Amino acid sequence: MTAPGVRPRGAGRTPDLRRARLPLFGKVFTESWRSLIGWALGFTAAASLYLPLFPSMNQNAQIQDLVDSMPAELTRTLNYDQIGTGPGYAQATLFGLIGFMLLSIAAIGWGASALGGDEESGQLELTLAHGVTRVQVALERFAAMAVKVLGLAALTGVLVLLWNGPAQLEISPYNLLGTGLLFGGLVLLSGSVALLFGALTGRRIWGVGGGAGVAVIGYAFNAIGNQTATVEWLHALSPYYWAFGHDPLGSGAEWGAVVLFYALSILLAGAAAAALRHRDVGV
Amino acid sequence: MTHAGPALRGGASVHASPNVVEVRDLDKTFGANVALAGVSFTIVRGSVFGVIGPNGAGKTTLMRTLLDIIRPTAGTATVLGSDSRNAGPELRRRIGYLPGDLILEGRISGRRLLQHYADISGPVHEGRIEQLADRLKLDLNAPVRKLSKGNKQKLGVIQAFMHEPELLVLDEPTSGLDPLMQQEFLSLVQEASEAGQTVFLSSHVISEIQQAADDVAILRDGRIVTIASVEELRNTAIRHLRMSASGVGAAELTAILAAVPGVADLACTVDSSALATATATLSGAIQPFVQAISTLQVTDLVVEEPDLEESVLTLYSAPAASVAAPGRDRS
Repeated sequence: MTAPGVRPRGAGRTPDLRRARLPLFGKVFTESWRSLIGWALGFTAAASLYLPLFPSMNQNAQIQDLVDSMPAELTRTLNYDQIGTGPGYAQATLFGLIGFMLLSIAAIGWGASALGGDEESGQLELTLAHGVTRVQVALERFAAMAVKVLGLAALTGVLVLLWNGPAQLEISPYNLLGTGLLFGGLVLLSGSVALLFGALTGRRIWGVGGGAGVAVIGYAFNAIGNQTATVEWLHALSPYYWAFGHDPLGSGAEWGAVVLFYALSILLAGAAAAALRHRDVGV
Repeated sequence: MTHAGPALRGGASVHASPNVVEVRDLDKTFGANVALAGVSFTIVRGSVFGVIGPNGAGKTTLMRTLLDIIRPTAGTATVLGSDSRNAGPELRRRIGYLPGDLILEGRISGRRLLQHYADISGPVHEGRIEQLADRLKLDLNAPVRKLSKGNKQKLGVIQAFMHEPELLVLDEPTSGLDPLMQQEFLSLVQEASEAGQTVFLSSHVISEIQQAADDVAILRDGRIVTIASVEELRNTAIRHLRMSASGVGAAELTAILAAVPGVADLACTVDSSALATATATLSGAIQPFVQAISTLQVTDLVVEEPDLEESVLTLYSAPAASVAAPGRDRS
């Protein structure tokens, strides 16, 4: 018989090893579950340090006086103008500052390493020499990053929910859900830019630069735009403002913005896949 | 799910072209830097094809092109019947690749890492990984980042061989392996070849190519200087010889030997007991020499194993034009 009848060599001799369904996606977690636990502990610590302080701040008029006596530019930069309310406090301290910073650092690191760092270290070459497509590598690794970012954003949301009663924050769970999605989407955007820059250059540092640039510039444009009406137009260029500019924790998220963040991130992941597809790797 | 389909496995599909690799006029430039220039060659199914050349000759670039890790500027590379460019994952499942600068990191064990590569390559038979690890004396439970260079190289060898691919592309495969493991590796290559798998390997260690390969391409500055069988290369190689004969004068012996084609560096002496001794180098066929000395009363004759290294080094250093195709034409 001819080729179609030829049995694979060794077939029937020993069974083949089972193969994972999403190998590249899964590999990210077998490698990084320790660091993911570390980040989760960090978020738990940050939330549990900041949130319980709210009742004492709220009842202590001196603190509100202190905030009032600070230069208006400073309170606007730090988004402390709403700090007297539970949602305003959680927004200013957790989602808008420490959480934003921590999650951005994590996501940008993951995004920059996923392709750029892997290529730089020389390991991407061997992966691509196997039975995978470059698009598959880029998208599975993007998906892994997205799951990690959303996981930590969800954890942050759960922590706020747990402290909502004890810390008298009076945050509506619905608004919390929207804010958590905005928080995750905002950070995922920076991580996706890091992924794209890494895919374009094959260097981790460019990924970190690109991702951090988007996060920092977004934060800065929001802060500057807060100052006076003449520079308010900077808000339009600030992803940070798109997410947090309209007090989502107090008055509800704009769902259009939620969709925008995730759509942009997916678009960037697609661009990263296309960039990787058309390049020589490891040169 | 785990079976890639019969046509993808097994070295001996009946309909397949005898050429596993066909490279035509391959050019690759990086900016102004020419890495490959007009490289053409074919590798026949089941053979072991070696490429040797100095560092920077283009060996790694050539191999990466076959795997579609880099794309040629011009020319084509056909691998197992499909164009290597954008050929897709199905093609690469049928190839085992060992990169020249193998980098493996991470906290996970060697076993987990190999399981990961099994996930993204052709199907791997159960027990195959352990069998290879046994032969190479590698502990699969150690975390990858704690392994020495040689042990990482063993992991690289295992991931290339474990799915019994139709084509093995091995870039400097023995680097970092100790001599015992190098021999074990060479026997893996030989077994693969006997099983119908095709092997394309690069090296700068000529003895290794000599031992393992059927055919050799010599690459220099991105060009193929020559392609020859190891046998042909050996024939072009220089042999050192020393002989003694009685009943013949130095001048006579010199005259006899100088007339043999390929003899050079000839020196004759006669000692006190009237024994004439000659030393010389011989290139090309040995038959004329044997014929020339058959009339003499030879008391001692030493013809050394041809030194492939020496002849290859000559090809490395000679200007490209003068060594167009020494292998085939002269033998």
